[in-house]
Amino acid sequence: MGRYRTWVSAALVCAAAALAQTSRSVWDGAFTEDQARRGGSVAEKECVNCHGAALSGGEEAPALEGAGFLSNWNGLTVGDLFDRIRKSMPQDDPTRLTRQQDADVLAYILSLNRFPAGKTELSTQSEVLKQIKIEPAK
Amino acid sequence: MQLDRFAIGLACVVSAAFAQPGADWPTYGGDLASSKYRPLDQINAANFSQLEIAWRFKTDNIGNRPEYKLEGTPLMVKGVVYATAGSRRAAIALDAATGELLWVHGEHEGERGAAAPRQLSGRGLAYWSDGKEERILYVTPGYRLIALDAKTGALVSTFGQGGAVDLKLDDDQTIEPDLTTGEIGFQGAPVVARDTVIVGAAFREGMTPKSMRNNKGYVRGFDVRTGKRLWIFHTIPLKNELGYDTWENGSAEYTGNTGVWTQISVDEQLGLVYLPVESPTGDYYGGHRPGANLFGETLVCVDLKTGQRKWHFQLVHHPLWDMDISSAPLLADITVNGRAIKAVAQPTKQGILYVFDRVTGKPVWPIEEKKVERGSVPGEWYSPTQPIPSKPPAYARNGVSIDDLIDFTPALRDQARTQIARYKIGPVFTPPVESQAAGPIATLTLGTASGGTNWPGGSYDPETHTVYVYACNSCVTPISLLPAPKDISDMRYVAGAAGQPVRMRTGPGENTGADSPLPARTPGGRGGAAAGGGGSGFGGLSVQGLPLIKPPYSTISAIKLDTGEIAWQIPHGETPDAIRNHAALNGLAIPRTGQSGYNIGTLITKTLLIAGDGQVTTTDAHPRGAMLRAYDKASGKEVGSVWMPAPQSGSPMTYMWRGKQYIVIAVSGGAYSGEYIAFRLPDEGR
Repeated sequence: MGRYRTWVSAALVCAAAALAQTSRSVWDGAFTEDQARRGGSVAEKECVNCHGAALSGGEEAPALEGAGFLSNWNGLTVGDLFDRIRKSMPQDDPTRLTRQQDADVLAYILSLNRFPAGKTELSTQSEVLKQIKIEPAK
Repeated sequence: MQLDRFAIGLACVVSAAFAQPGADWPTYGGDLASSKYRPLDQINAANFSQLEIAWRFKTDNIGNRPEYKLEGTPLMVKGVVYATAGSRRAAIALDAATGELLWVHGEHEGERGAAAPRQLSGRGLAYWSDGKEERILYVTPGYRLIALDAKTGALVSTFGQGGAVDLKLDDDQTIEPDLTTGEIGFQGAPVVARDTVIVGAAFREGMTPKSMRNNKGYVRGFDVRTGKRLWIFHTIPLKNELGYDTWENGSAEYTGNTGVWTQISVDEQLGLVYLPVESPTGDYYGGHRPGANLFGETLVCVDLKTGQRKWHFQLVHHPLWDMDISSAPLLADITVNGRAIKAVAQPTKQGILYVFDRVTGKPVWPIEEKKVERGSVPGEWYSPTQPIPSKPPAYARNGVSIDDLIDFTPALRDQARTQIARYKIGPVFTPPVESQAAGPIATLTLGTASGGTNWPGGSYDPETHTVYVYACNSCVTPISLLPAPKDISDMRYVAGAAGQPVRMRTGPGENTGADSPLPARTPGGRGGAAAGGGGSGFGGLSVQGLPLIKPPYSTISAIKLDTGEIAWQIPHGETPDAIRNHAALNGLAIPRTGQSGYNIGTLITKTLLIAGDGQVTTTDAHPRGAMLRAYDKASGKEVGSVWMPAPQSGSPMTYMWRGKQYIVIAVSGGAYSGEYIAFRLPDEGR
């Protein structure tokens, strides 16, 4: 029984540690400056026609920076945003961009919203990106 | 063109036994007056918050890709809900009590659909019956008017050619360059009045036209039984027609657009149709169309039988701000100073409600031609005056002054002032500028391209003679022009900002529907679809991530039409999370701000005004979601709310069926694809 209890406690500690490790937010340096720069170049070609320069909003397409954008994605994950881009953007041909380009654009969007860059690039797997929460405030 | 049509017909057995007056919702706007009003009161202030979901219909599979911009308002007639849905823009019929799919009809239009200027699901459809036959009519992305048997969804073979009228034909013009790619379409709901179905026209976004020449957006009436054209109204007059001389240098010959892309209203008793006409070619540059440009941005009244013009009033002379006329005229029987007036009230992007006698076209309150600023863009023609009503007062911001800037703290205001130093600002009708890097880089506007009040329009309560209207109060549009490169356009100027190459700007309806090509994914991506460089060079119009403009970000106004006064005005929508939780606003008491956005429509019942939030929020009171809100229509006080998984993206409607009142609303946006949700009260005892 005692041994069992110890095993359970250890397992719980491990699980908590794993959770702490995977529970990340956009405030934890989720992308690199280089990646955001690359994403900026992709966005210049692929996004600004509708979303405006610096993705600050077009006549109809929404801004991808600022309070309105962050409020709409608050509580979701970077993976959710990644999936939306994969499914529907660029709107004239959602298959045009690679996973890497989509991830780079995402990094650019995070940088526009003043989230800090870090040492690791955003993954190209939405399951991994779903571990990173979008939180407007730290 | 090979058209592949499909229709799944499931017998739809309905009973009229439960029908009651005012229980159905037979047209897009509830009635032909576009009131969006029903005198139902089963759902009221006491129970609104108890609403539960009766059924929901996800539209992902109505087309080959999900849609995130579901803007439809369904109809309900005799127990069947009809709507357009999905990236295919199919017509669907659902059981009004359960949401069960009864039939679906979609049109595969191939290249023609792929080239259409306005794709996706559109805003709705029309219902017609002569007491025996029942029909559903809608317009495809490729601009074909379809007639379906309302019971089965099958094409009505006696209508047009096998159930379809090709709207690119018999239009008093040759659609250029050809029927497949010729730019013209329609995303609204057709309207049927006295056996005449009326259809307008829409085009690409007009900030960067490919040419000063374009197809014209005439309005036509068709026989609802045969599809035969009954009449046409030339929104750009032909030679010898009234208004031709308002297009100097023969510019009526080649200028296009000027369609009616939004909803049309009809007074069947008077036999009059009210057409809200949009801008001519070139949203922000009119140098190729000198003159006032009738019937651009003009409210036109025509005869229902003949299409002959009865009267018109141009709201904006020589349009330069993309003010269009963006929503249905509201037909209102009012009493002003003891005099009964059959009126028409027109909400607008510019936040002004224009009110006319709908028989004569005479303004109910004087509308004065006021001097406006003349701009300096080379080659432009400027109207010296614009009409401004003396009543009612503007119900939304329609210009930008320093006083409109963010003012949570003096520091934020200072920062905003600095940020807009290179912009020209001013009141409504401040002209666009040629963009200069040193400034002005653009004219900063409110109440222009986005509005103000955009396509959802307002509602009218015939009991209290009140217009209810939502408006974005913070949708900033920087307007500026650059010389157009020859490979982009033959216009002298198109939208663009100094420091950025001019590029073709597109809207969300273009190239996005189910007929648009989905080429195989290639390693590394195809890329290079457009030339490098930016669109507009207006980055950074937010202040530390906060909106440049101060709250309220949006409002709903109640405007009494008997007096021309605003009875109440409230912010609509929860304060966005990013504002509520912003570090710079810590410790400040911020009243509800409302939410920026221009696609909120309102529904009026016996006692309530109902509208959903346009953004999602997460608060102590509710998990992540958007609230559908009910306000006491007399006071504007919120009396209830119910949670939705995504923002309102299409205007709500209501109906009674088998003793239960329903509210149906389209939601979509962000990570949430299009869905119709029906609410009703729980059964008693449950």
